[in-house]
Amino acid sequence: MKRTFFAALISGIFAIGTLGASTAYADPTVIRIGYPGVGVDNQPYGYGDTASLAHVGHYVEDAFKDNPDIKVQWTFFRGAGPELNEALAAHQLDFAAGLGDLPSIVGRARGLKTRFLLPASEHGSLYLAVSPKSNINSIDDLKGRKVAQFRGTNLQIASDAVLEAHHLTEKDVKFVSLTTADGLAALTSGNVDASFGGQEYLDLQKRGIVKIIYASKNDAPIFGTNSAFFVTEEFEQAHPDLTQKVVTAFVKAAAWGSTEANRQAVFEAWAKSGVPVESFADDLQGLSLARENTALVDDFIKARYADKAAKAKQYGLIKKDIDLNSWFAPQYLETALKELKLENFWPTYDANGKKLTDGTVESQKQAAAQ
Amino acid sequence: MARAPHFSSLSLQTLTLQGPAALTADQHAALLLGGFHPVPAGDALVVEPWVVDQGKQEREERDVTRVDDVEAGSLDRVNLIISDWVGEHAGRLLLGLSFPLVLFIIWQASSLYGWLPDQILPAPSLVWQTLQDRISDGSLWDDTSISLLRVLRGFTIGAAAGLLLGGLMAASRRFHDYLNPLFLAVSQVPTLGWVPLLILVIGIDEGLKNILVALSVFIPVTLGTYQGIRDVPHAYREVGQVLTFGRAQMLRTIILPAAVPAIFTGLREGLSNGWQTLVAVELLASTEGLGFQMAYGRQLFQLELVIAAMLVIGLIGFIFDFLLGRIETHLQRWKVAA
Repeated sequence: MKRTFFAALISGIFAIGTLGASTAYADPTVIRIGYPGVGVDNQPYGYGDTASLAHVGHYVEDAFKDNPDIKVQWTFFRGAGPELNEALAAHQLDFAAGLGDLPSIVGRARGLKTRFLLPASEHGSLYLAVSPKSNINSIDDLKGRKVAQFRGTNLQIASDAVLEAHHLTEKDVKFVSLTTADGLAALTSGNVDASFGGQEYLDLQKRGIVKIIYASKNDAPIFGTNSAFFVTEEFEQAHPDLTQKVVTAFVKAAAWGSTEANRQAVFEAWAKSGVPVESFADDLQGLSLARENTALVDDFIKARYADKAAKAKQYGLIKKDIDLNSWFAPQYLETALKELKLENFWPTYDANGKKLTDGTVESQKQAAAQ
Repeated sequence: MARAPHFSSLSLQTLTLQGPAALTADQHAALLLGGFHPVPAGDALVVEPWVVDQGKQEREERDVTRVDDVEAGSLDRVNLIISDWVGEHAGRLLLGLSFPLVLFIIWQASSLYGWLPDQILPAPSLVWQTLQDRISDGSLWDDTSISLLRVLRGFTIGAAAGLLLGGLMAASRRFHDYLNPLFLAVSQVPTLGWVPLLILVIGIDEGLKNILVALSVFIPVTLGTYQGIRDVPHAYREVGQVLTFGRAQMLRTIILPAAVPAIFTGLREGLSNGWQTLVAVELLASTEGLGFQMAYGRQLFQLELVIAAMLVIGLIGFIFDFLLGRIETHLQRWKVAA
């Protein structure tokens, strides 16, 4: 009796072990892409980055349309980056599309084996919304107030950086961790005094439900959020060819999303998430798409990630320093740019956001305007 | 029973000294309930009714014997009894620890051989390190005390309301018929099912936590109290009637003592419910507490924080249950019999 019990126990343990091993693929028929977020009412659509453009435009699927053995599967995580990280750790994903800076840095610090492929959004906006009658008029007024924040996402480190610029820390503010949707509900029902978030708040401001008192796009270019595309080392080493095809598809989507002639179409693709077109139009008012949707890993983006990693450590969000240089896998992006003849398509910027070289996409814009 | 002669001679002696006429009404009740045995407990003479509970009897008996023997100065027997006690309890302790130990070994092995990614199941040493760090910087105590206070507040409210409602429903048929359908309906709704509604009404502050914890405690306590009182054997009540007890005396002497096990089952279940609910609510909307720590640990991919908080919650639940068990035993000390 006893023996059979232990035999069962041990075989159970081995079953768990082999289960983990069997999820490692020999021949993938499914390319599993994870996206950190959902649209309004949990719709499986993202917004505000080139990852959602690749999804809506079927760029990856189209890259494999001649190969019926390969299926592309997108998963949208309501719990955003933190939840996507768990799926990565559990070997349930091959690519992370549009993963935010903080969760990717946290995952890196915890030993998740990923490679950084290309950016998905360059400086995503951070907004601070309050109720229309609120007496909070600036970041400084947040001291001691109850504020919603989607913790563990790139919004957390972006808001921490804004607080720091105003000589505040997380400890000076009572942060309540709420998802994007719950944060909206909590603010409109008066359960929190303010909420850090993205473009979702623009529409509410228009409808008079909230008042936006801070927008990172009006602040220095170093504020705001970043996100990027990642591949697991496991997949990349097993299938460099497939990795290349996926990266090329992502770059194509980014090029389409950087072209000013597509401005309205880009917003409409994002609006599939349920966030209205006008919100994106407002969000990117006066900003060039090429700046937001660039696929280049230039000095600016490297500096942003170095800065965010340092801040994450400073704020106690990670314990270890991370090595950025070994994280970047530039070869796939370079090959894609060559293949698509986009080497000079995007402008490049230095670490402080000063333009180094012009991109051909910008002259296209001028041509279109004339 | 080895020590029966010694014991009954004492009983006889006491009885001769006082005589049945000198017995109090309580003692009369005990007599009529059967198995009347006066037991020396310290200096006072306590009369205990006989209740069939073999395991408890034996345990209590041993305690009594020990007291007697210490007085008798029989060191050898004391040693024997102590080693007997240690033997029994150590055995039970070992048995209770064996399963967690197996789990721990599996956990350790898992982190050694990488069965689960260590981002998801961190090594025991990392959890231990985290616990130590959080103890030394005081943050563990901050979170624990906040959660403890919330549970105690909710538990006090919920248990008081549950005892009252359960008692009233058991006492009055009409009251029971009047409230029971509603109570049953409410008790079927999972406590967390109230969250969306309650957030709208009272917000996400302390009130929400207190009410939800209280609600989750209230339901099992009400059920336990109601059933415990209702199921007091009719014969016991008759004894009280024969002795022309008033309501208060009946309640104090017969009903409550007899209902203690069921009431405590309700209280213990309520307490564990309360903990579970609190952690769930703290996960949802909170700025501090153990549940909040767990949510935070998950969001920042520090699962060792989650596991550390789980260990603390488990330990506190264990201590609470143990304390309630001791109180219950204490309240049931009358259940001693020869």
